[in-house]
Amino acid sequence: MTSISSSLQLAIPLHVSYIKALGDNKDDLTYHLTAHLRMNAVYWGLTALCIMGHKEALPREETVEFVMSCWDDEAGAFGAHPDHDAHLHSTLSAIQILLMQNALDRIDIHRVVKFILSLHQPSGVFAGDSFGETDTRFLYCAVSALSLLGQLHLLDSEAKERTVNYIVRCRNFDGGFGSVVGAESHAAQVFVCVAALAILDRLDAVDEETLGWWLCERQLPNGGLNGRPEKLEDVCYSFWVLSAMSILDKIPWIDVDKLIGFILSAQDLEGGGIADRPGDMADVFHTLFGVAGA
Amino acid sequence: MHGVKRIRQSAQVLEAKRLREKAKLDDYLSLTQDVLSRKKSRDWSEEALQLTSRLLQVNPEFYTIWNYRRNIFLNGIFPRSSLEEINDLITKDLSSTMTALKAHPKVYWIWNHRRWCLENTPNGPGAPGEADADSWRKTNWDRELFVVEKLLDADPRNFHAWNYRRYVLASMPVPRSAKSELAYTCRKIEANISNFSAWHQRSKVLTSLGESSGSVPSQYLEEEFNLLRNAMYTDPSDQSVWIYHRWLMGAGDDKKFLENEIEAIQELLDEQPDSKWCMESIIHYKRLLLKKHPNEVNTKTLLLDCKNLLEQLEILDPARHQRYQDIGSDLI
Repeated sequence: MTSISSSLQLAIPLHVSYIKALGDNKDDLTYHLTAHLRMNAVYWGLTALCIMGHKEALPREETVEFVMSCWDDEAGAFGAHPDHDAHLHSTLSAIQILLMQNALDRIDIHRVVKFILSLHQPSGVFAGDSFGETDTRFLYCAVSALSLLGQLHLLDSEAKERTVNYIVRCRNFDGGFGSVVGAESHAAQVFVCVAALAILDRLDAVDEETLGWWLCERQLPNGGLNGRPEKLEDVCYSFWVLSAMSILDKIPWIDVDKLIGFILSAQDLEGGGIADRPGDMADVFHTLFGVAGA
Repeated sequence: MHGVKRIRQSAQVLEAKRLREKAKLDDYLSLTQDVLSRKKSRDWSEEALQLTSRLLQVNPEFYTIWNYRRNIFLNGIFPRSSLEEINDLITKDLSSTMTALKAHPKVYWIWNHRRWCLENTPNGPGAPGEADADSWRKTNWDRELFVVEKLLDADPRNFHAWNYRRYVLASMPVPRSAKSELAYTCRKIEANISNFSAWHQRSKVLTSLGESSGSVPSQYLEEEFNLLRNAMYTDPSDQSVWIYHRWLMGAGDDKKFLENEIEAIQELLDEQPDSKWCMESIIHYKRLLLKKHPNEVNTKTLLLDCKNLLEQLEILDPARHQRYQDIGSDLI
């Protein structure tokens, strides 16, 4: 039995084996039911390994070939899994993976950039794919992808202004940001908006004092962070909230030690991996965000 | 995954589970293969449509299959259907996605498909200018508010549902009034004052009533402060109320307002001497007085009050002590 007080360290070897074993689940129904997240999952796993200093645990060639097998030649971008449709989110994950594996030269940059720019809406937000769902998450995916490809300059000053204006319109009375104009502030959307503004060098659009306050109030008595007022703590907010606070240079406004204690107590010290909160099942998503936070 | 309890399972239990699921897994994989290969060969048939229904029932997060389904409608079925048949198909999909949403209320792809259905509801049945020129669309859109209300009753903080509600209100052929939306948010808040999503919605509706000025029209302010006063006394520890109050106070241009509210909050603090939110708010409003009305207030007293409260907060709310220290430094 694990007890909360015994988990004082990040159990790196355990988490490395956990991530390594994720691809072995081919008999597991859940594994196949989540194929639509596979590109993202590989990104989460690889990033967590990099942070823990064990990048080699996922073989480079296999990883790169997997990414390339998700290329959707009709759209000129990446889907989540072979034969899945291209999407901005999986495209960002693909770029991030290839960057970490020093394999960006495998991408047809021209086509990918065309795909990304084609999703830019007149309002300034980006759609996720040709079916048109808009969300500030996709705005971040686009800006981040362009930046990682060294192509951010292709957003000319008018396009950049339009993009920033959309983010500003998503700013709420609490200083936070939502997924679309009118939406409630949510820590994940705060991260994507603040990060996009940082990449675009427009952090002047953030009301730092109010947002800093809203962000630091995400910390609950148990040390964990939630994503919105009166919601439960969750390890993944260690990343969304903490990253936003890091960009705004406000990390001292929370109790970092208490947060680390919370993250470590959410580890699965038998099977490896980290869960959304102590006692729950681990998954690769929360493993990355827990590792990044801790 | 969120909220799934960790259970230790023995190797035997896991093996038994694997065997049970094997049949399901084989079915799922062969269905997936069938559908994806039809998609590749641009099969826009009725049969393909039925297969996507089956697959999406098992896995509503399989976004590629939602895409394929819509393409089957657009490329295969709609072109050979009458407008009435199209409306029937759309209405059926609205009904089946409602069932899917009850089981999976936070899956983006299902909400997206609903929007697509609404936006692709044909004009009719009547011709333009006739009384029933827009009946199909009106019926489908009116039903949406009902759908979203059911889902918000089940989970009043579901942001997918709130976003969808805003989308429906903005797009309905016959719009609802801002007043009726204020009443809806009031009901939600009365059911649970902790419902920040409802307070947030309220802030948007009030702002829209202010039109170009962006600030809340004065005739609504009294009701808002009364609502807040009740909420504060009901649960002074609920942050939703205080965050909303701060917004309503605005930039601090009205000195009387600030002073009235400070006095009211001080009364509450006298009853609840450990109330972090009372202290935090009083500090903020006194800072506004100092900033906006420096020549009309006793600067020295206000500064001392703030410093005093900040010191108390550092002890009461140690996790955030650095912020209180930073504010204190700014005050000098």
